[in-house]
Amino acid sequence: MHGVQQWVAIGIAGGAIVWLILAYNSLVALRVRTQNAWAQVDVQLKRRHDLIPNLVETARGYMQHERSTLEAVTQARTNAVAAASGPLPQRVVAESVLTGALGKFFAVAENYPQLRASENMQLLQEELTSTENRIATARQFYNDETMRYNTAQAIFPRSLMARPFGFSPATMFAADEADRANVQVKF
Amino acid sequence: MISGDANLPVTGPRDRMSFFDAQRRNRRATWRLSVMSVLAAVVMGIPLALIVTPLLYAAALIGASIVNYFRPLPADFWQQGDRLAHFAAIAGNWMFNHQPADPASLAAGAAVLLLPGVILSVALWLGVNALFERAGVGGALLALKVREPNPADVHELRLADVAPEMAIAAGVPAPRILLIDAPAANAAVIGTLPEDARIVVTRGLVERLNRDELAGALAHLVASIGNGDLKIAFRVTSVFETCGLLVALINSPFGPQSRRTLWRVVRYAFAGKGDAEEAAIVAALLTRGAGLETDDIDNLFDTISSKESVLRSIRNFLLFPIFFTNMAIKLSLWFFSGVMLEPSVALLWRTRKYLADAAAVQLTRNPDGLAEALRKLNGGRGAIPGGEWASHLFLVNPGGSDRMHDGKHNAAQQERIARNWAASEAGGKNNPTSDMPTVLREIAATGRAAIAGDQKAAARMEAFRQSAAAALRTNVAEMPDWSDVAAAQHGDPQALRRLQQFSRKMEETCEPQQDSPQSSDLSQKGFLSFYPSLKRRLKRLDRMGAHVKLESAGRKPWIAIGVLGVLLGPPLLAAGALLVLLVGILTMASLTFLLVWLAFIHAATGLLIRQ
Repeated sequence: MHGVQQWVAIGIAGGAIVWLILAYNSLVALRVRTQNAWAQVDVQLKRRHDLIPNLVETARGYMQHERSTLEAVTQARTNAVAAASGPLPQRVVAESVLTGALGKFFAVAENYPQLRASENMQLLQEELTSTENRIATARQFYNDETMRYNTAQAIFPRSLMARPFGFSPATMFAADEADRANVQVKF
Repeated sequence: MISGDANLPVTGPRDRMSFFDAQRRNRRATWRLSVMSVLAAVVMGIPLALIVTPLLYAAALIGASIVNYFRPLPADFWQQGDRLAHFAAIAGNWMFNHQPADPASLAAGAAVLLLPGVILSVALWLGVNALFERAGVGGALLALKVREPNPADVHELRLADVAPEMAIAAGVPAPRILLIDAPAANAAVIGTLPEDARIVVTRGLVERLNRDELAGALAHLVASIGNGDLKIAFRVTSVFETCGLLVALINSPFGPQSRRTLWRVVRYAFAGKGDAEEAAIVAALLTRGAGLETDDIDNLFDTISSKESVLRSIRNFLLFPIFFTNMAIKLSLWFFSGVMLEPSVALLWRTRKYLADAAAVQLTRNPDGLAEALRKLNGGRGAIPGGEWASHLFLVNPGGSDRMHDGKHNAAQQERIARNWAASEAGGKNNPTSDMPTVLREIAATGRAAIAGDQKAAARMEAFRQSAAAALRTNVAEMPDWSDVAAAQHGDPQALRRLQQFSRKMEETCEPQQDSPQSSDLSQKGFLSFYPSLKRRLKRLDRMGAHVKLESAGRKPWIAIGVLGVLLGPPLLAAGALLVLLVGILTMASLTFLLVWLAFIHAATGLLIRQ
């Protein structure tokens, strides 16, 4: 009888260790995925920075009277590039200023039919639309992955081991105030 | 967005479903149906093994007898054979004569009767898998005549941009995008592994969909890659290919066509590096073989009746026992795969489509885009030239009801049509546009003008009709006689009657799809389509929040279906039982003939040894 109990104890301990290893590994895998998703957002923001000089250059020929708009875009881009290596809150601010400047630029560009019809401009606009979409989908993917990661930490048996082993919930992207203001619809 | 706002009212149907739930549900459904498909394959395999095994034993015994003549085999060998036969006899007696038998020898008997056939089938299946795994997708892409998207064209740039967007949303590497210049609007994933997967899109789709719809369509395909659908498709196809190989093997004594197929498979297998194009051809040959369309058996009867030579009749007499086995195998394959395997595989494949739809909603967060895309594609669908074998990999069913010009002509024919059209122009302005949609639009416009009474247009249509008929060697009746059209305009009753006849004939020929003579088309094999209906897909998207207006079709007539089932069920069951009986009789007949044959060979070799 003594022997059987011993074996049962060993079995339980072994099972616990195997479970611990599996749980730890899956959490690490999820964390890496989350970090990777975050890196994707970075990549797409950089892509937007790279596109803007070309856009401004193309528009300059058509929009001579809108120097201030173009300069605002260029300035916002310079600030965003500078902030890219800085702390996160400043980056978010710089990027949303850039988004605002671009929005204004395209609104003004509506008044220049020649510019809108230019094939080069159409291609650039498509590129920029795609980049904005990529930033959005990268954020969305980051949020999806973060949700999976946070859920995996929070559900019961794993919630016991997550904190002691150094896993903490990641923060999600929320739409920032500037974006949210745009969504308001008036009837 | 995620961090609050819980008090927003959720609008939509009450049975609303999140895309995460929908994906979970479809994954479970896939599980259930794959278990069912595997069961169906096993159930199909048992009678096949029972039929094939005696043939294998007979072949082994004949071989042994012949070897025995040249170099006598040890007595041990024959004793072992006796023991195997003994076990088989016990199992047989238990089955048919209800004689008692102990479980151990029963199991041994079953193993003796089944194992050789099972081993052969599994070996064939593994061989087919190994054969096509290394082939890659090059051949398929060649057949489809794909090209890279052109970044200077806004439509194609958009396509090349949206795909990475969706890949980012799914967190997978961006797949390669290729274009087909076809007027039909459709898209597919081609490949055997996620790494070499390509998304193939027709130019028609790129032109017809706006950005949101394009995103929905591509998200479906990206999700399909991510969900591992390619692997499932590969395994499913390999099962059908194995059936085709088995049929080709069993047919090979009778006909040159199966021998040619086999020879091609063997040559491809030993060619070393996988030639992608050859692989596609071989795969098409095999899936066609599974359709039992080979006419080798008819040839056999022809040679028997015509009595060409004595030698040939002797050969046919020797092969006679295998003929019964052949028929038995074909019948049981036809029955089991038609009734069990294909429907369950079709249902399995449908769950993958629903799953990809739900995942596409997760990627785009815009169920309306995919719903609109599906609706549009369904309107303008048509076969993709060269894509028949991959018809289960598309976004919407490429077959089915098809409008006259979309995809009815293959690429070479399209080219000729375009050339003829340009040549028929009165001024002789020779600038053939290869852009098929433009040409078709022009033809349609000129046709309308001709009907409205434009003499010049009518003359051009007539010229085009004649040149096209000569060049394409197709039915001239694909176009009306334009002088008739003109005459009918002026009130000629006879011309009007001829036109009516023509349009009736047109409807008849267009109704059934007789596209490709070599229909290696998986999605059209069984009586169940591999694609869920548009209505069901839209309904599910609606549940995930798409704003589709579903025509509230009346409730399904369940009572009628039930009554029909009760009425038709017993006869169908009886037919199935009869078929099983027929297969059994055929197997028995083949066995009897084989035994006679064996006894003859045994006696002959015995006589020779004694001398």
